[in-house]
Amino acid sequence: MSELANAIADLKEDEVKKIVQDKIASGTNPMSIVDECRQGMEIVGKRYKDKEYFLGELIMSGEIFKEAMAVVEPKLKAGQSKKPVAKMVLGTAKGDIHSIGKDIVAMLLNAAGFEIYDVGVDAAPEVFINKLKETGAPILGISGLLTPSFESMKQTVQALEAAGLRKKVKVIIGGGIVTEVVRKYVGADAFTDDAPEGVELCKKLAGAVK
Amino acid sequence: MIKETMTPTERTWAAIKLEPCDRIPVAPLMDVMFPSRHKGMTVAEGIAHPRRGFQAIVDTFDDVGGWDAMILPGYSLPIPPSIAAVMQVVIGDTRYPGKEPGFSEDSSPQFIEKELLTIDDYDDIIKLGWTGFAEKHLSRFFPLDPEVLLAWAKRQLDRYKSEGEIWKARNIPSLCGSMVMSPLMFLSTRRSLVPFTQDLYRFPDKVQAVMDAMIDDLIRFAIEAAHATGIPGVELILERGGCFYYPLKIFERFEFRYMKKMVNAFADKGLITVMHFDQDWTLNLPYLLDLPKKMCVCELDSTTDIFKAKEILKNHMCIMGDVPASLSSIGTPKEMRDYCEKLIDHIGKGKTGFILSTGCTIPFDTKFENFQTMINSVKNHLPQ
Repeated sequence: MSELANAIADLKEDEVKKIVQDKIASGTNPMSIVDECRQGMEIVGKRYKDKEYFLGELIMSGEIFKEAMAVVEPKLKAGQSKKPVAKMVLGTAKGDIHSIGKDIVAMLLNAAGFEIYDVGVDAAPEVFINKLKETGAPILGISGLLTPSFESMKQTVQALEAAGLRKKVKVIIGGGIVTEVVRKYVGADAFTDDAPEGVELCKKLAGAVK
Repeated sequence: MIKETMTPTERTWAAIKLEPCDRIPVAPLMDVMFPSRHKGMTVAEGIAHPRRGFQAIVDTFDDVGGWDAMILPGYSLPIPPSIAAVMQVVIGDTRYPGKEPGFSEDSSPQFIEKELLTIDDYDDIIKLGWTGFAEKHLSRFFPLDPEVLLAWAKRQLDRYKSEGEIWKARNIPSLCGSMVMSPLMFLSTRRSLVPFTQDLYRFPDKVQAVMDAMIDDLIRFAIEAAHATGIPGVELILERGGCFYYPLKIFERFEFRYMKKMVNAFADKGLITVMHFDQDWTLNLPYLLDLPKKMCVCELDSTTDIFKAKEILKNHMCIMGDVPASLSSIGTPKEMRDYCEKLIDHIGKGKTGFILSTGCTIPFDTKFENFQTMINSVKNHLPQ
């Protein structure tokens, strides 16, 4: 594993900044820097799975990754960026304005190569549907921390059916109180109460729609 | 129906003190929202009219045939009327139902996570202590006359006390005469999660110094409120310091060290601590053995492994919980009965050390028949 990937995995914020700047200055292909950063994030994900890391380390690594991308992305030439793993529409269900869980998942999905279209919080079914139509994204993620969000999630899935999109779009719901009972009630394809697990599930859903 | 030989007060305190009960007690974490809707009001009405909201709780209690204890007696806030104590509440941004465009009258209040305290505030708290910081910065968070704020706090405290007395007259104990957050919980919610996490990793010594500067005041406010309300317990609100968020080395340094100081200080004054654990604390459970025996209640919300909690804490403290919110709002009575009976059998084994409760506050969209089933479960089923 490269020095940069290890520095990200070990949450060495200053070291990551220096390595990225040195690489840019020495003319390293920016795309390979992105790849090394993503490899670092994969190690973070593995450490989380092994219970060596927790949400705090995910947040820190995500912030370090974002800082590195802020330096690298302006150097990427048009068309140089890799094809995304998948496009995905993400938001918090109508009636719920909690954003932290959604934002953490969005950050991890970005780092894993997804192209995220974040519709924000308190998003009505039509907001999700319009964004899915506009982007052609095959995955929809709906977040919620309050019980009334279950009804909003269900209405969104029903709206997806009414719009004739249900067969083309996989739906994952997430949040601290989401369970299998809720998944069935909503009619979603998957659920999670854990951000990295959510990323793995989205990768599987992306594979299923390809 | 099980033949009862104890009063609700005797039963609840026996469970807390790990002594035998006639049956498992039940104590939902109640506020005005579900009862208001049950009695035909909107959530916004219940919140805006404290007396009607409180009456809705009492009426709901009667409608289900009663439960055994109130964790908090109602919806008022037990805050001592001092600027420094009230400031903990004032630093916050909450959206209330019916008060914002598009925010339904039938929705729950929602706390907005944003950076309300800054890095510079850390330096001021360290330099001035919490009380000095509160007095210096009050106008930043509350631009009106401080006397208005103090009068509001006094009304809240008086109402809290009178609500406790109403329950006492019905022989229903209230467990917590005050509420307080751990320093980590307070700072994480007021700095907001991402910046606070960065603070922990970038400036750990400074964060610890802030906590050191706050802790004695937090303890003092909680004890003052409990004494003023005459209810011998403190609700310690915990979420952000457990293993869902951080590794044990952070928990040990920034959470448990202060939790322990708080719980010990409360116990020294004869107050029990109801530790309100939101999110998963399973890996943190063994640390709780280091807290005073029979002086704490471990209140779980269904994300911590309650069976593991029983295994670890069974001879040390009472466990309370943990009916999942989703079961209350979209489950069926059969699913509710099965879940409650499983808890009664396993967590209530030996007919002590367990109080059946909602996992966190009862959701406002709880189905009444599910709630009734939960309350009835303890009255009809003994641990097998």
